[in-house]
Amino acid sequence: MLTNTDVMKFLTAWELLHETADEGLKAAIARGEQTTQGQMASDRGAFVDGLAAMIDAKKEVLKDELTNGTDASLTEEDSPAIQAVTELRFEVAELRGRLESMGAALDAIAAKL
Amino acid sequence: MTMASHSDSFSRAHRIRRARRRRQIVRVITKRWWRAAARARFGFVPLGRRREIFAQQLREAFEELGPAFIKLGQLISIRPDMFPPQYVFEMENLRDAVTPVPLEVMRPVIEGDFGRPLEELFASFDPEPIGSASIAQVYRATLRGEPGETYTPPTGAALPTGAELAVKVIRPGSEATITADIAVITPLVNALNRIPALQRFNLPQLLSEFSESLASECDLRIEGRVSDRFAFDFRDDPYVMTPSIVWPLSSKNVLTMQYVEGWTLGHAREAEAVGVDARFLATYGANVFMKQVMVLGRFHADLHQSNLLITPDNHICYLDFGIMGTIADDQKEAIAQVLAATVYADAKRAIDYSAELGLVVTHDKQPEVIDQVADLMGRTFSHMPRDVRGFAMGFLSIMNEQRVSVPRGFGLLIKALVVVEGCAQMVYSDIDIVDAAKEFTTELVLTHMLRPARLYARIPRAIDAAMAELIG
Repeated sequence: MLTNTDVMKFLTAWELLHETADEGLKAAIARGEQTTQGQMASDRGAFVDGLAAMIDAKKEVLKDELTNGTDASLTEEDSPAIQAVTELRFEVAELRGRLESMGAALDAIAAKL
Repeated sequence: MTMASHSDSFSRAHRIRRARRRRQIVRVITKRWWRAAARARFGFVPLGRRREIFAQQLREAFEELGPAFIKLGQLISIRPDMFPPQYVFEMENLRDAVTPVPLEVMRPVIEGDFGRPLEELFASFDPEPIGSASIAQVYRATLRGEPGETYTPPTGAALPTGAELAVKVIRPGSEATITADIAVITPLVNALNRIPALQRFNLPQLLSEFSESLASECDLRIEGRVSDRFAFDFRDDPYVMTPSIVWPLSSKNVLTMQYVEGWTLGHAREAEAVGVDARFLATYGANVFMKQVMVLGRFHADLHQSNLLITPDNHICYLDFGIMGTIADDQKEAIAQVLAATVYADAKRAIDYSAELGLVVTHDKQPEVIDQVADLMGRTFSHMPRDVRGFAMGFLSIMNEQRVSVPRGFGLLIKALVVVEGCAQMVYSDIDIVDAAKEFTTELVLTHMLRPARLYARIPRAIDAAMAELIG
């Protein structure tokens, strides 16, 4: 049977886990920011620290977007179908350009005849 | 006089011209070689400095010998895989500025390609060129048409009648002159290639690539198509632009495009005076380069000060798409990994991933090479702004000394990165492009790391490791 003590223990463990993870993340962000300022770390942990610092910086942008409702991370234009159509439109326009240039060359030849 | 004797006298005159040109080339090269040898105290200065002296004299000899050699030098400047870095970086300083020929000489080229008088093709055409190089000259003109008419280019906004244009025209005879010079130097290059010390430069191959690139550079339609593709690739980018091509007025010898007003990088302060954020644009240029290489797989490989403009409406305008580098899809990730490892100063990882790009360091050399690269990273990246040029020079020198062959694409990439840094620092000398590279490569490497297939393959091992850490 689940007791109040069990729930408290679970929540305490949950809180401790978060606190430890948060401290670890903050330390990584601090190390990452130091690396950005020119201090080098020559192990692979540097990548994780750099990433943590970047994520921290992006968090502020996300906060701003959520507050102002300006999230533009995914637009309708990102859909593969629309991208394919846009690409095809460009190819047609490019082909038209080639035809226009060829047309001019043909006119030049015709003028010489 | 019979036909045969006409032909005999022509070929005799041709042979005499070639022999005279060959003697001139040999004389200039020999003169410069002796000058370099004297300045290098006949070999008594250190190797690096000696190479710098010889490279400078070779560059000056190329400038003295004219268009074919200037183009050859430009080719050397993008081949760090073949030549020592001192030569590669010295050739950047080649000046391809020649005295313009009058419009009356150029007029037949334009009119011949379109079969109409110049006055019928353009509403106005300024006879004074705004640029003059060994292969082409550039003029200003305006678009002809009825009032209210527009031309819609494949990319970019429609151009109204009267729009300002830039018209690039191939100089008559330039291709033939360069081809004649190639014919003259081919036997000399073959003779030089028999010298064992020069064989590793593979000069005949360079010459053959030179002939191919010349053919492509002398067909301006190719440049126009590349420019359109670039404009399309960056169509949604708020800070990048390239001039729209006017195809009905473009041909093999003529490329007509929108005229873009702007400042070259050396005049960025003037742009700032009217409110342009030049510092931001200079840093942003590094991001544009990363996107070209690691996302699109094709990049502008001929960037220099005069191929970039800062526009009054806060854009970077890319010009002159004569030389493009391409990256295969399967190499983009490896490039991102090498760059990420470099910006995070992880020499071992950089060397490991370089192997996927064809730069293979044999097992026995690996510890020494990794130590040397790590030491180089320490020297060039430990102060701000980090010195990408110094790193590239040092890296290529290490590979040169260790006799590790650098693949062409890898060399081109390193060189292009150095040029990007040079362009950014021309605006502000303290701009650190490694910061831009860091953010871009970190995001890209993370995207590769989080691919579902990769995660699926690695999750069992990750859980094992986590369990071992928690329980063990």
